[in-house]
Amino acid sequence: MTDLPTRDPYEEKPTRREMAARLVSTGVAAAAVGGGALFFHDRRHLEAAAPEIPDWRVPRSDAAPRGAAARGADPAANVRRAVAALGGMEAFVKKGESVLIKPNAGWDRLPEQAANTDPKVVAELVRLCKRAGAKRVVVADLSVNDPVRSMTRSGLLEAARSAGAEVLYGKSLKLVPASLAGSSAGLEVIDLLFSCQRVINVPIVKHHGLSRATVGMKNWMGVLGRGRNRLHQGIDRAVAELGATFRPTLTVVDATRVLLSNGPQGGSLSDVKLVNAVAAGTDPVLCEAWGVTQMGLDPSSLGFITEAEKRGLGRRDLSLMRDLGTA
Amino acid sequence: MTWTIRIRILYQAFFLGLFVWFLARLSAGDERQFPYALFHHADPLSAGALPLGAGTLPGALLWGIALILVTLVLGRAFCGWICPLGTLQQLASWFLSPRTKRESLVANRWRPWFALKTYLLVALLVGAVFGGLQMGLLDPLSLLARGLSSGLWPLLPGGRAVPAGWLSAVLLLAIIIASRYLPRLFCRALCPLGAFLGLFARFSIFRIGRGENACSDCRLCSFACQGADEPLGSHRVAECHVCLNCLPRCPEGALSYSFLPALATPPTRPDLSRRALVGTALSAAVIAPVLRVSGGGRDAARPGLIRPPGALGEKEFLSRCVKCALCQQTCPTGALQPAIGEAGVEGFWTPVVVPRRGGCEFACTRCGEVCPTGAIEPLAAARKTGYDGRPPVRIGTGFIDRGRCLPWAMQIPCIVCEEVCPTDPKAIWFDEVEEPLRGAAGTAGTVRLKHPRIEPSRCVGCGLCENKCPVGEEAAVRVTSIGETRDPLNRMLLGT
Repeated sequence: MTDLPTRDPYEEKPTRREMAARLVSTGVAAAAVGGGALFFHDRRHLEAAAPEIPDWRVPRSDAAPRGAAARGADPAANVRRAVAALGGMEAFVKKGESVLIKPNAGWDRLPEQAANTDPKVVAELVRLCKRAGAKRVVVADLSVNDPVRSMTRSGLLEAARSAGAEVLYGKSLKLVPASLAGSSAGLEVIDLLFSCQRVINVPIVKHHGLSRATVGMKNWMGVLGRGRNRLHQGIDRAVAELGATFRPTLTVVDATRVLLSNGPQGGSLSDVKLVNAVAAGTDPVLCEAWGVTQMGLDPSSLGFITEAEKRGLGRRDLSLMRDLGTA
Repeated sequence: MTWTIRIRILYQAFFLGLFVWFLARLSAGDERQFPYALFHHADPLSAGALPLGAGTLPGALLWGIALILVTLVLGRAFCGWICPLGTLQQLASWFLSPRTKRESLVANRWRPWFALKTYLLVALLVGAVFGGLQMGLLDPLSLLARGLSSGLWPLLPGGRAVPAGWLSAVLLLAIIIASRYLPRLFCRALCPLGAFLGLFARFSIFRIGRGENACSDCRLCSFACQGADEPLGSHRVAECHVCLNCLPRCPEGALSYSFLPALATPPTRPDLSRRALVGTALSAAVIAPVLRVSGGGRDAARPGLIRPPGALGEKEFLSRCVKCALCQQTCPTGALQPAIGEAGVEGFWTPVVVPRRGGCEFACTRCGEVCPTGAIEPLAAARKTGYDGRPPVRIGTGFIDRGRCLPWAMQIPCIVCEEVCPTDPKAIWFDEVEEPLRGAAGTAGTVRLKHPRIEPSRCVGCGLCENKCPVGEEAAVRVTSIGETRDPLNRMLLGT
């Protein structure tokens, strides 16, 4: 108000100029208030619905092999041979793409205890992705135990980092809302699922107290944050649901060491059997079936495998898995 | 007393009466659809602050915008003519104070610390931007409604106890009594709504004007000035309540309330220091997030925080709730109570369901109907109960404490929880068992008992079971918020 035209101190009435200026400033203020009201009026601002989980598969011809399994004392060589039999990593990862590698790093256990994916398997996959031209390779998991202890003592942190991957765990992972059709309306998932173009699932074959076995589909628990602890109420359905929701570019099953009882955490070395095998596949149900046979289980006896096949997520027919034999 | 003053007093009496009458009708459970939230819909501070955090101006708050536009034309007429808390203070200062004319002149002088309200306003607005809408603590309409509803209403015959109400009552009474010492102390020094309207009153077209040639500097105009805005000399239009008490006081007839009068010389000292304003804003920007992590409803571990049916998710809810207590006033069972610590520091005085005080009546939707800002969404009864075919609106889940339950722990037959369970089919059902009874040595004979069990997928968390449970102070069946519709992460069952 102070910078309005000054007026004659003996004049009781403001000048016409001053009146116009004052009316204009009132009008501008009214327009600002009205404009703000129009802009904000009933503008819904509730949080956006959870985004759909992307499909990370690459299109493959029907003649292409759906899976290949290799045996031998060197886990890295097993990985190389199995992936090569599917057409090499170049068939799955294109130059410049970002790849998320999802191992099982759930537990504060040493590699010998076979509760987490073997670090040599993961490191070899990182190298293959890098060689195929991946711009960014991330290894990430939401551990059950303390994430720092789990990532470090599993050997995954060092192995993946020295192979050239970015390792994200614990507080460095960002969670966003998600929902799992039919199982849970409220969940959180790591945001890497939306920023990476390709996702490789690298589970270890283990016994599980509730579902008897855990391989690849249950490994998706590790991309879920709050809300995942509900899924055990109907484990077979929920695991199949996870398989239907997360469709990876590639599944690489680590059966180097297999935990036969007291899973999924294990601990005792007497529960661990050395199998020295790795399988890679584009059919998650086939990989699941191959994995449980390494424990000596019949795939058709497991509810989550039959449920997944019934949903059309893949086939459990083991003749579809190319056996590359021992190196 | 001139006719302008008489008309103003009529306005004030009408609005104060209407305000209290609305609260009385809410409390009585009147079926008629009066605009109970009218005052809160027309709250300019809600209209100004809510969009900052919530990003939306809920429908009926447009009335608050209308009041801002009125202020642009008439000045802060709301404060002098409508605000019921202002009226109560004015009454108190007139009725309680033994001031002489001379003392009145001193009491109605402007003081630099009256600028406090503007700093408070800045802090509350900045806090709202950072996600904590706390203006309801001091907003005069919320403050009065809360003080009457949860503070003084319990005193009436048949009134219900409100444990957190005493503080609301003390705050309200302190404000009213303070006017005995300094008229409208709250309006002048603390009211964020008045400070907010003051921002717009600067542009007002109608205002107090003084014919300088006629004025003899006698200062009688300040005798009954409500806003302490000093109509003599440098008139502070942002402080003026447009009570018009000054006009008839002037022996020379030099004052007028008119269209675009000549402007008074502006006050010599600035009312606000820029440094202090920036400091206030920065402090609020730090304190608001601190309050957010105080362990309330945003926390995953939130024992005891049951929100009313239709309440938005906690973040959205807190960005809209103005703590006006209308939902609590209208709740027919007394289930809705002002939160003390259940919702954290930031949720102080927001509504929570306390089943021990009242259950949430199955088909009752009154809290959502009366909520002025949509923090509790209005629900149709068919929607709330699930009779429209979709899942019912749940506010929590009940759990049986087998260690306290009469049939479970003491072999005493009881069926009250099952009896009052309102869902269809009932969430509480009986497992009939035959148990051995205590005898002179060991057991002797048996008794048939009905053990109540809860089917969690049927339970809506209404708390009627907890409310009616005959196991006194701490019921043998209790509700917690898990499974509530409003938060998809606060669930326990697969498939929900």
